[in-house]
Amino acid sequence: MRYFIRTVQAVVRKELRQTFRDKRMAAILFIAPVLQLTLLGFAVDMDVDNVPTLVVDQDRSPASRDLLARMLADATFARTQEGDDPDGPMARGEVSVAVVVPRGYSEDVKKGRPAEIQVLIDGTDPVRAQSAMAGVLEFLTQESLHMATARAVAMAQASGRAVEVPMISVVPRVFYNPSLKSPIYMVPGVAAVVLLVVTTVVTAMSIAREKELGTIEQLLVTPMRPVALLLGKIIPFALLGLIAGGLVIAVGTHVFDVPVRGSVLALFLGMLLYLMSTLGTGVFISTVANNQQQAILGSFFFIMPAILLSGFMSPVENMPEWIQLISRLDPARYFVQILRAVLLKGAGVEDLAGPLLALLTFGVGILALGTLRFRKRVA
Amino acid sequence: MNDSARVLVAHQLHKRFKAQEALRGLSLGVAPGELYGLVGPDGAGKTTALRIMAGVMGPDEGYARIAGKDPLSGDPAVRSMLGYMPQQYSLYGDLSVDENLAFFGKMFCLDKATFSAQRERLLHITRLGRFGDRRADALSGGMYKKLALACSLLPKPRVLLLDEPTNGVDPVSRRELWALLFELVEDGMAVVVSTAYMDEAERCHRVGLLHRGQLLMEGAPTRLMAEHGNAATFEDLFLAAVREAA
Repeated sequence: MRYFIRTVQAVVRKELRQTFRDKRMAAILFIAPVLQLTLLGFAVDMDVDNVPTLVVDQDRSPASRDLLARMLADATFARTQEGDDPDGPMARGEVSVAVVVPRGYSEDVKKGRPAEIQVLIDGTDPVRAQSAMAGVLEFLTQESLHMATARAVAMAQASGRAVEVPMISVVPRVFYNPSLKSPIYMVPGVAAVVLLVVTTVVTAMSIAREKELGTIEQLLVTPMRPVALLLGKIIPFALLGLIAGGLVIAVGTHVFDVPVRGSVLALFLGMLLYLMSTLGTGVFISTVANNQQQAILGSFFFIMPAILLSGFMSPVENMPEWIQLISRLDPARYFVQILRAVLLKGAGVEDLAGPLLALLTFGVGILALGTLRFRKRVA
Repeated sequence: MNDSARVLVAHQLHKRFKAQEALRGLSLGVAPGELYGLVGPDGAGKTTALRIMAGVMGPDEGYARIAGKDPLSGDPAVRSMLGYMPQQYSLYGDLSVDENLAFFGKMFCLDKATFSAQRERLLHITRLGRFGDRRADALSGGMYKKLALACSLLPKPRVLLLDEPTNGVDPVSRRELWALLFELVEDGMAVVVSTAYMDEAERCHRVGLLHRGQLLMEGAPTRLMAEHGNAATFEDLFLAAVREAA
């Protein structure tokens, strides 16, 4: 047993020494996650604002100018062009929305006739199109309501009667992310993805490298046990993964104002279990790969679906039933869930028993499978 | 010589890789203080034989024994009796000479005192003492092999298996390496060297000529030459035997 611990220690020390001596490896571990988080955090911005808008004012009346000015006062739409023909600019991608106020608009309004306003929306990007459409509809509905109310009041006053207009006033209150900023939703997801990429690839590569160089054969003729080698490989990358994970969360809170409302213990417990899964996957991949190239390819074979099914971009609940079933095998899905719950909703360990247990199961399973295969392959 | 005098025994080893029969009933034994040369053309089965004797791989049939113990068992006692240097011996190129030795010392479970004594001795006999801080990938081919040999000698093995140790090594380093082997043998180590160089084979106490997984002949080089009187050189003898078998 003492010998076992000593060999594990020796491998851990060797791995750390090699990792920090290889500047590229150290960069993959520490600089890449922070850089990726910052870039992705800014790039994956689902907020819809400053939609380039073409205004076609065929009415050219004070009423139409006033309507358009108020519509564009909100930052949702930005008037980038004025013209007569909306088709060309939209096809060229210069504008995403075109608002056409037809001739006779002010006349219709004045006389109390239904007025029409045409809104053209570029549906190439459905998320953006839906947000833009909702924005336009909301503004114009409010506008109609105001006009109708004003007219009712005016008519009542003219006939000398008191006015009573029934109305429902909606008071929305948004929980957890009140300003509805998408980085606050995205950053925890990005953190899970970044940790997945870094730890799985690095572990798989580090074991595959020993195979590629032939050092593993040299280790096998020593009295060292294969499990000691595996532990010696996993422990340093688990430690470095925890540090990288902490770094990513720190960048998230400082750069993107992501709050940490819940228990830090739950956060690190989740991260530890998640790392067990990603490192175990790295070990498993290394038993299939014979060299570092195959290890990288193998890792991405796992990483791509793991990211897509994790729910970090679109909610898992929106996926078809059978894909939701597959996503239950995805450790990233549980970690994204844990991160969002802890950071945004203030959850603690007791609230997250389900996903924590799922991660534990996956982690133990894949580590056991990887270890068995590793022992079988090398012995 | 009976088996009890032999510290390394291979008995009727068979190994097949898909359609390729690598070993077809290879048997040999090596006594302490004996230098055994395993000679044969490429693909004869030399590496497979050494890997099985080192316990890196199991045979399909037959067995290998190191001082009566099975090298496949994983028993630390057997592993510590065995030094094995594969043809593609790899050290950690990004670690220094000292760091490589220290790492393998820990893998071989040497205590501090034994390790530093062994380190001193091995650095001295391999003349690597001056290069302790140099990274392994910055060593010349010959020095690299000597460091590899030093690593496999750390546990003071009783049996040393070397797979083509002088492949790609300059003549001076080659001579030094052989001088080193003779020292080890004089100290009572049993050494098996596989080689494709006939001049090296002639220096061994005994040689086994391996061809297509079988020993064509075995014995002291001088005796083999005498028995096959018509061969002018050892190389001729070797070529004639292979031609006859084909």
